[in-house]
Amino acid sequence: MRRLSLSSRLALLFAACTAVVSLFAGVLFSHASEAHFVELDQQLLDGKLIGLRRALHDIQSSESEIRLADELSRQADLSLRITGSDGQRWYDSSAQLPDKLPQTPGLSTLNDGGTDYRVLNAPLFVDKPDSPQLTLLLDITHHQHFLQRMQHLIWLTVGLSALATALLGAWAARSGLRPLRRMSAIASGVSAQSLNARLPEENMPPELAELAHSFNAMLGRLDDSFQRLSAFSADIAHELRTPLSNLLTHTQVTLTRPRPIEDYREALHSNLEELQWMAQLVNDMLYLAKADHGLLSPKREPLELAQEVDLLLEFFAPLAEDTRVTLTREGNAQMEADRTMLRRALSNLLDNALRFTPAEGEVRVRIVDEAKGLRLTVENSGDGIDGALLPRLFDRFYRADPARQEGSSEHAGLGLAITQSIVRAHGGQIRCESGNGWTRFVIELPKGD
Amino acid sequence: MKLLIVEDQPKTGQYLRQGLTEAGFNAELVADGSTGQQLALSGDYALLILDVMLPGRDGWQILQAVRSAGLDTPVLFLTARDAVEDRVHGLELGADDYLVKPFAFSELLARVRSLLRRGSASPQETSLQLADLRLDLIRRRVERSGQRIDLTAKEFALLEMLLRRQGEVLPKSLIASQVWDMNFDSDTNVIEVAIRRLRLKIDDEFPNKLIHTVRGMGYVLEERIA
Repeated sequence: MRRLSLSSRLALLFAACTAVVSLFAGVLFSHASEAHFVELDQQLLDGKLIGLRRALHDIQSSESEIRLADELSRQADLSLRITGSDGQRWYDSSAQLPDKLPQTPGLSTLNDGGTDYRVLNAPLFVDKPDSPQLTLLLDITHHQHFLQRMQHLIWLTVGLSALATALLGAWAARSGLRPLRRMSAIASGVSAQSLNARLPEENMPPELAELAHSFNAMLGRLDDSFQRLSAFSADIAHELRTPLSNLLTHTQVTLTRPRPIEDYREALHSNLEELQWMAQLVNDMLYLAKADHGLLSPKREPLELAQEVDLLLEFFAPLAEDTRVTLTREGNAQMEADRTMLRRALSNLLDNALRFTPAEGEVRVRIVDEAKGLRLTVENSGDGIDGALLPRLFDRFYRADPARQEGSSEHAGLGLAITQSIVRAHGGQIRCESGNGWTRFVIELPKGD
Repeated sequence: MKLLIVEDQPKTGQYLRQGLTEAGFNAELVADGSTGQQLALSGDYALLILDVMLPGRDGWQILQAVRSAGLDTPVLFLTARDAVEDRVHGLELGADDYLVKPFAFSELLARVRSLLRRGSASPQETSLQLADLRLDLIRRRVERSGQRIDLTAKEFALLEMLLRRQGEVLPKSLIASQVWDMNFDSDTNVIEVAIRRLRLKIDDEFPNKLIHTVRGMGYVLEERIA
């Protein structure tokens, strides 16, 4: 079933509210007027009762009949029945009076064949227990007609006002929801090409401003990721273009004329180097793509970090000894992580650190075990990195050293991006700080439970 | 030594066969899974190289059939998909090793040799030797032309690996994995430096060089008569 639109829902709610309120008011009014009529009738009948009692104080006399007729003639819609104490009907002022009348003392209402009566039962002589009974009947048909007409009017009012508020409400809701429609129009216009569209936050009603703000923030994040993604694809094409064009040129030039076998060998070797570089690039990009899709699922094996770091330092020892760089490690911690992934992440950091450490410098790895989690820092002495470049270090293909151009070195500039992916896959964070002659990569990892 | 390659991509298959044949193996190539399975079940092969995606029956099904027939022929998987589940699946089914495309042929060759060696445990050796280079496994000493050479523990392990697999081209990734237990792709040049430092001690003072670089492929320890 299709859900009702917001404006129709609001319109219906408005209509229902108006109907309930006007119905309540109408019922109250009709009850009040009915009560008012009853009160008027009571007063009238009470007055008449006094007159009748006076006229009939000596009921046996013939004059009393004249006085009675006189009394009754003053009020055309009033009829009277006098009943003896034995229940015998003594007198009816009109022949059309109903046979059965209510016997309850006091005021009551009776409907007989289309005529409505207000009936008052009272003894003729107040102090005599066996007094004849007076039954006064007041024809109130016109009152009842009035009340009935009023009830119809109330129903009509309820219906019409509900209809009117429904229509007005629909209009009001529609115009009240206009900012929402504007939002949806902008949202439906958003595509990969127009991620820079934003909702005007300042002239939004306060209720929608927050939504507009989150919506804009979402667009901003999408835009950012999309920019990175398209930059990544452009970078891939760019990175692959250089080795590909080398391969093409070299192979074609080699084949243009017969050459000594040694030249072919040389050409193949040179091609092999380009190809290996490309294969490494493709493998690294696949790794990052997997990370982007959340497919890097680290195994959780208990690790002694000091042991892992020492193994890595031993691995890098030949490289460090070459430039007489000191490699040290301090601290230890246990954690659950994927051994191969962790080694890969740290190896990228160490490799990076060693490349930027001047001869006879120092590379230090520190492991700090804290209550919240653990911190791993890899720091190297050296010139440091310009603070403005720090956030971009983990971007793919980013190279802090502008002298090192694409294709010209064996480093594609994906190492730090891979390290970041691995750290994130373990639920951690990595950042870089630089200053006072040190560059420091800080990894913060939550403890495996 | 008979090897079976089941690979449906003609170029890949032919180059693999050529490379393995030239490396001294008797390599057979089939392109579809069903024929591959029939041949594999004959039990005539010392090693199976299976592509995962194959027409007829895929690599996993062949592996399953081979294992349920009670054959323990070593199986090396080639896959274009680097999905973790793939590796886990393959290894659970009883694959012995896997390579993700694109891979280097030198890497494949080194793995093939490792797998073939695995079955035949060589007798306990006490020393390894090539030309005038001698490595004493018990006393952990190295000498060349009777001259004692001091090596670090890792240099010793590296030289031992080169000696055990003399004549084989060893790719850098394999050396990193075997000597340092670093099992990941890395573009670091640690291995180059380590080899250079080993050369300095083993080769530099001697006219007859034993460690050779095979450009773009790796390193080999062998005696080359100039």
